[in-house]
Amino acid sequence: MNQNRQKQGGIRLLGLTAGLAACLLLVSVQSVGAQRVPISFGDYHGYGGTVDYIQRVAREYSSITELVEIGRSTMGRPIYVLVISRMNNGTTIDRHVELRNPRREGVNNVTPMKSYHGKPGIWIDGGTHGNEYTGTEVSLYIIDKLVSGYGSDDAITQLIDENAFYVCPIVNPDGVYNSVELGISQRQNSMEVDDDEDGRINEDGPDDLNGDGKITSFRYPDENGRFVIDEEDPRHMRQLGRDEEATAQRYSVVREDRDNDGDGRRGEDSERGIDVNRNFPEGWFNDEPDGKRGGSGYYAASSPEARAILEYFTNNTNILLVQSFHTSGGFTYRPFARWPDSRIAADDLAVLDQVMGVKYKELHPDEENPDRLWLPPYRGDRPYGFGIFIDWAYAQYGAFSMTTELWSWSRDTRGLPGYNGENDRNIWSKALLDYQETAFDGEIFVPWQDYNHPDLGRGQIGGFVGTYVGGNALPGPSLEHVAEIHWQFELWKAGLLPKLEITEATAETLSNSGGTRIVKVTAKVENSGQLATHRSGGARLAGNRQDAIWLIGNRDRVEYLQGGAWQSLGTIDGVMDIPAAEGGQGGGTGRRTAASAGQRRQAQQMPPNLPPQFRQQWLAQFGGGDQGADDGNTREVTWLISIEGNSPLKLVLTSQKGGTKVRELTVR
Amino acid sequence: MHTHNSLRFLPACLLAVFLLTAGFEPALGQSKLQENPGGYHGELDFPWSWKRYYSYAEWTQMMHDIQDQYDHLADIESIGKSRMGRDQFLITITAKSTGAHDTKPAMWVDGAVHGNEVNGIMCSLYLMWYLLTQYDYNTFVHDLVNSTTFYILPGLNVDANESFVSFPNTANNPREPYRPEDNDGDGLYDEDQTEDVDGDGQLSNMYKEDPEGPLKLSDDGRAFIPISSPEEAVRRFIRIGSEGYDNDGDGRINEDDIGGPDPNRNYPFDWQLQAGWPYTMSEPETRNAYEFMRTHDNIFATFHYHNTGRLIMSAGPGGVEAGAQAQQATGPYGMGRGQQTTAEQRLAQMREENKYAQYFERTVAPEYRHDFDVQTEIVTMGARILKNYRPSISSWRGTGQAQVNSYGMLGAYAYLIELWGSPAFAADINNDGRVSTEETLLWIDTELHGEGWITPHPVQHPDLGEVWIGGSQKKHTQRTPPARYIEMEAQKNADFVMYVASEFPKVEIDEIEITPEAGNLYWVDVTVKNDRVFPTFSDRDNELGTAIQDQLNFSSSGNVTLVEIPDGMTQIDPGINASRAMAVGTTTHEFRLRGQSETTFRYLVQKSGGAGWVEVTVDSFHGGTAAMRQDIR
Repeated sequence: MNQNRQKQGGIRLLGLTAGLAACLLLVSVQSVGAQRVPISFGDYHGYGGTVDYIQRVAREYSSITELVEIGRSTMGRPIYVLVISRMNNGTTIDRHVELRNPRREGVNNVTPMKSYHGKPGIWIDGGTHGNEYTGTEVSLYIIDKLVSGYGSDDAITQLIDENAFYVCPIVNPDGVYNSVELGISQRQNSMEVDDDEDGRINEDGPDDLNGDGKITSFRYPDENGRFVIDEEDPRHMRQLGRDEEATAQRYSVVREDRDNDGDGRRGEDSERGIDVNRNFPEGWFNDEPDGKRGGSGYYAASSPEARAILEYFTNNTNILLVQSFHTSGGFTYRPFARWPDSRIAADDLAVLDQVMGVKYKELHPDEENPDRLWLPPYRGDRPYGFGIFIDWAYAQYGAFSMTTELWSWSRDTRGLPGYNGENDRNIWSKALLDYQETAFDGEIFVPWQDYNHPDLGRGQIGGFVGTYVGGNALPGPSLEHVAEIHWQFELWKAGLLPKLEITEATAETLSNSGGTRIVKVTAKVENSGQLATHRSGGARLAGNRQDAIWLIGNRDRVEYLQGGAWQSLGTIDGVMDIPAAEGGQGGGTGRRTAASAGQRRQAQQMPPNLPPQFRQQWLAQFGGGDQGADDGNTREVTWLISIEGNSPLKLVLTSQKGGTKVRELTVR
Repeated sequence: MHTHNSLRFLPACLLAVFLLTAGFEPALGQSKLQENPGGYHGELDFPWSWKRYYSYAEWTQMMHDIQDQYDHLADIESIGKSRMGRDQFLITITAKSTGAHDTKPAMWVDGAVHGNEVNGIMCSLYLMWYLLTQYDYNTFVHDLVNSTTFYILPGLNVDANESFVSFPNTANNPREPYRPEDNDGDGLYDEDQTEDVDGDGQLSNMYKEDPEGPLKLSDDGRAFIPISSPEEAVRRFIRIGSEGYDNDGDGRINEDDIGGPDPNRNYPFDWQLQAGWPYTMSEPETRNAYEFMRTHDNIFATFHYHNTGRLIMSAGPGGVEAGAQAQQATGPYGMGRGQQTTAEQRLAQMREENKYAQYFERTVAPEYRHDFDVQTEIVTMGARILKNYRPSISSWRGTGQAQVNSYGMLGAYAYLIELWGSPAFAADINNDGRVSTEETLLWIDTELHGEGWITPHPVQHPDLGEVWIGGSQKKHTQRTPPARYIEMEAQKNADFVMYVASEFPKVEIDEIEITPEAGNLYWVDVTVKNDRVFPTFSDRDNELGTAIQDQLNFSSSGNVTLVEIPDGMTQIDPGINASRAMAVGTTTHEFRLRGQSETTFRYLVQKSGGAGWVEVTVDSFHGGTAAMRQDIR
């Protein structure tokens, strides 16, 4: 399959005016940046353009990026994640622990960890719904800001040094390809589905009837039509008000399409398959006695796209923040779409609504009604949907997750002369008609031309190209405006990630006899980041674990007398003062405590046959719960060890979502 | 479940109809029919020892060889690869001469979804071997292979299956597919597995001398036993655990063994994270199996072999939250509401006639009553065939288990078999129903000629110093039977699978009766029946909305026309209640035939001129097709 297939009906280039304006707008940010892979937002990139761009970025910035193919779409197109993180400064626990005497069978099922697995992760995706490719553009914008800011912008450089950004610009390649490259809007993936249940698959999609390479509209005279030709601008089809009397000829306006299978319907069975964002295993069900179900697909994770995401997250457990870009409406919602807020831990609800939500509203001012920018999706007693990605990411994976519905045409339009933000689609459309002639070279509007429709008779084909004037941000200044706000939000969120350090480490000799020393090792650990190393209760989820610290020496010479080779640290808080929550599970604490973060292990009875040399360690690990529980954002850990002769010593702090840090020790 | 048109059953069935009506012996007759129970039944036509376990290479080669020999009855394919790249081979068995596999109702059988439960592989292979070698000799098998398809996946979890058979392991490991998992929360994955420390090819227990230990060596030196009195002056030991090293130096041994999620909690129906991590159908091994099942909508029932404990767990609507109209299930032996007898009394009463009788006290919603009754009858026969197996109807809530998933997602009747168990039948001397250590040792000494026990012996351990290893059974004396019992177990289990397949629905037209009404009007009464235990589709299939209804089609000679009377229940003889019939006024009518039931349909026709005829066909997705013509003179 040729991924770089020249798209049909795409506009060639952003008009000069808008391009210049964009450059001027951004000049202050970019002046020191090294944009080695130029990108502009005067047109959508589609699947081919996106792949081309991220491949070039991965080549140009190989020291801070890795391009990973995480799976293939239904039609076999690769799904890519671009990991952005400095590649040579991270470490992981598997590089420090020496394994001895392995099984002779030699099964090789464990792959070495990536260096960035030792850093806190933030996930950003777009294009889960194929026709919501504004999210793809915003993802590319963020990639550009990150890689070209590295080395020139201190804040960005530090974030890339210390964290891992996982950007997946297109979760659903087939949907984006069909929507952008072919101009056939497709929200779903391309799994084979008989949409109209007529026994045939994909037999009636939209058609480019006049062969101009674009899917536009067909209008035809219809006494029950809802449109008239606008009195001022005959290019514009004005929609009639509810009870408006029309003096002019009434028209119906439908998509450029015909009835391919003769069933009396047009476009009822295109290549569209299932909704990937209803195919995740949280809130998906098919288990009611009466056969009721919620969610899409034959079963949760049945789509190759959802499965690719799930598998990748399973193998990258360090992600703490998840952002999924959709369109449209211009607002963000957080979990749960399936359940009421009483299912969310109170502290998490406070972090989401009262910290992240407040910041989002600040960055994206809406003076009229700021509350419409940040919403809980579950209203009253009605679920918004089943099997939603961000619900899964929060509930089952343990990340703070949210979905942004990018783009409000009335609030986010920029650089459109003659339009002042009025909530009137007619004004907006007519302003765009004039503007597009210069800005888009007239490419996003097709003048009405007579056409004799095989099913509907005489009329005209023409109007706006749906790819550009539908639910997606208008390329150029509007798209850049939307992208810049959300880049700022991601930049701010990445700054909330945990920052773990071993702040102090001492090894003090208590006694020395015959070359064997008894040594007390003390380590202090601190999280100076805003967020804790897990969301509330996150460590308890299957696949997750608590933070741990290893003391590693020469195994032949070091014996652990108190405290084992590694000790559990629980979940280490961040420095954030969590506001008192309203609602949520367990009530608000007003301040995160280790208790609310959850203890994975309960105190247990020591097994009676445990060898003496293991008892101390068992107690440290299981007997008294976790060391330093309830210590907020710091921990102090001690060991008593004996060292025969000399041994190097090092501490390895390993937190699943808080990063891995190493510190060498010298015995005093 | 059903995406195909049910018409694809037609060719095979029409052929059968033709052969029967033409009065021929089927051309596919048995060349080597053996009716003498003491005679030769084909077992040496494909010689194979059922008295050992096989490596993956061996048993998959055997599948290929037997398919090659019986290629008119079998096809082999790989349904996908395991995590470590092994093919999951599935064999399809049906007589190709009577129709393609997907035109017949099918039985799915899989074995050893848990890696260590490899007797499931042997039972699956045995069923395959039995069906193929007996086909020419045994009428029952012949008919079954002609009318039914068997999809058999002997080893589902092939990576762990292979490890269990070919490498030193305890009876319980490895169990899961090889997805890496951090069991101990230290940040490392699968880093501390079991090892055969003494290199004897067995994985036993480790003990260490400890002055405070609670154990001592028995007098014969074969086992570690508890110390009877605190004052006893003997060498004391503590048990460390299974054989292995401290691979990661954390002071613990074998704390992060290979493998990830329980594969039998990985299926989508009622899946839950904590049991089925990381996500539904995350493992290639389970996903390949389920995708095959899901896309073969002719699968009517599924078997899933596990061990241990000798259980028949049929998936059913047990535990379903019944609505206000819920009734008490009656089972085949019936128990009306309001009766005073308890379930135990009722069961005791039933068992006076049939010692295998089963009665499950359960509240079942009315729309699932038939499934509950059907499963009760099937597992009652299961208890009869498998003898000391305990049947049950398992919970509706299966947290991602395969058999509950087969029923819940696909509407297929499903059975989980826990094979084998304690060898009490051979080893229990004092008849208390249990097997003590002494009885086990005696059983090993007599039945197994001493094989199967590891005598404790001292070994130098790099982490622990001197340890004693032994004092335990070898792996094939516990959850998997010793070689000599493999066939015994496999044979009766094959019998049960074949019994279940033989009860798949089969529609028949019993008779067409013509009764003159007034003038040139005639009543045509058609009796359609299904003698099998299973209905033509399950209650669950019906409730899922995926069932294809049975179809009754009416045709006639040109001079006979159907009178469009309204559909509805009617009585053929107003004086006899039992003569109820469904009046039908259209040429096509949809209905459902339950198990062991018959339904009479009544048409009213008008004839002009001389003799004419009516013909009725029944077309059922799982139950096949039947047709009958009757002249009207």
